[in-house]
Amino acid sequence: MKYKTTIVLRDKKYEVKAGSTLLSALKKLEILPESVICVRGGELITEDSILKDGETIKLVSVISGG
Amino acid sequence: MKCKKCRGKAVINMRHHNMGLCKDDFLQWIPEQTQKHIEKQKMFTTDEKILVAVSGGKDSLALWDILQILGYQADGLYIALGIDEGISYSAESQRLTSAFANARDLKLHVVNIASDYGTDLPTLAKGTKRGRDKPCSSCGLVKRHEMNRIARDYGYDVLATGHNLDDEAATLFSNTLQWNGDYLIRQHPVLPSRDGLARKVKPLFRFYEKEMAAYALLRGIEYIYDECPFAEGSTSTQYKELLNELENKHPGAKQHFFVKFLSAKKKGLFAEPTEKIVPALHICPVCGQPTSMEGECTFCRMMGVSKS
Ligand code: SF4
Ligand SMILES: [Zn+2]
Ligand SMILES: [Zn+2]
Repeated sequence: MKYKTTIVLRDKKYEVKAGSTLLSALKKLEILPESVICVRGGELITEDSILKDGETIKLVSVISGG
Repeated sequence: MKCKKCRGKAVINMRHHNMGLCKDDFLQWIPEQTQKHIEKQKMFTTDEKILVAVSGGKDSLALWDILQILGYQADGLYIALGIDEGISYSAESQRLTSAFANARDLKLHVVNIASDYGTDLPTLAKGTKRGRDKPCSSCGLVKRHEMNRIARDYGYDVLATGHNLDDEAATLFSNTLQWNGDYLIRQHPVLPSRDGLARKVKPLFRFYEKEMAAYALLRGIEYIYDECPFAEGSTSTQYKELLNELENKHPGAKQHFFVKFLSAKKKGLFAEPTEKIVPALHICPVCGQPTSMEGECTFCRMMGVSKS
């Protein structure tokens, strides 16, 4: 994979192909977009955003139990 | 994606509303919608004193924040349960709650189970049959009892909790799977006060959990991200995930499930709570709070057992 984006969720790190949408990356990683919010450089972004080469997207799990 | 209101860059896509919003419009929309549902459900007015149960999590802190923005008289209540299994969960959530209150100059009541009752939740739960594996039912009991006590002792008109739509839908799902009739009858975003029990409201009941997480992040609210160690693998978490799978395929399904339940209730598809279903309340001789059985209430019995 030449162009890649890192996706972080809690203590897990995933590498996905850059250039596609965040939504398709989430689908590949089997992460429901309903269960996370996505942060790029401190800013909230929507799932149609295109992933850039070398960047890191942080996912914040939204589900709290109890 | 573009903001539906100003055509700027959207930060959130709410497919169930067919609407994306930018940061500014989203931060305006959330309090507006909250206000709308507070009025529609006749939850409370600006003349009333509200006690917000805050846990240090995103929902309850966001609720407190929104009620301040809307100009309500809302104080906080934090209940220190002493859940510190490995990750200092209680200590950290208390720290974040106090920091939130101090930064905004808000009044926060803190009930400390350890100093008030000489025990903590994990110890208490081990002493009960139900709580041996999962302390959640004892935890709920302690929280309900103490919230009601503080509301009564300090003269609050209403108790507010941060339950969101995902919480409510998961509870509804669980109660429906078991056809838990008496819980279905009582599940509502507003429970009027009766016999010494304060009115209870859930002003965030129309928001998805994702919206509340986005709100907390956009408002810069620091909340406890780690879950309570006992929440791991809980059925409510599993139900939330199931409902999100459904939501993913059918946007709005989660919302319909809960909101249509409320309208079905309004149309009379569920019985009104009668004496038979919701028994008359007695007064506990120890704490003076209402209880469904005569004699000491479950809370006082539990506290007694743990002391001896
Ligand atoms: S997960 Fe259970 S023990 Fe933990 S705070 Fe929630 S109800 Fe209490
Ligand atoms: Zn806008
Ligand atoms: Zn009692």
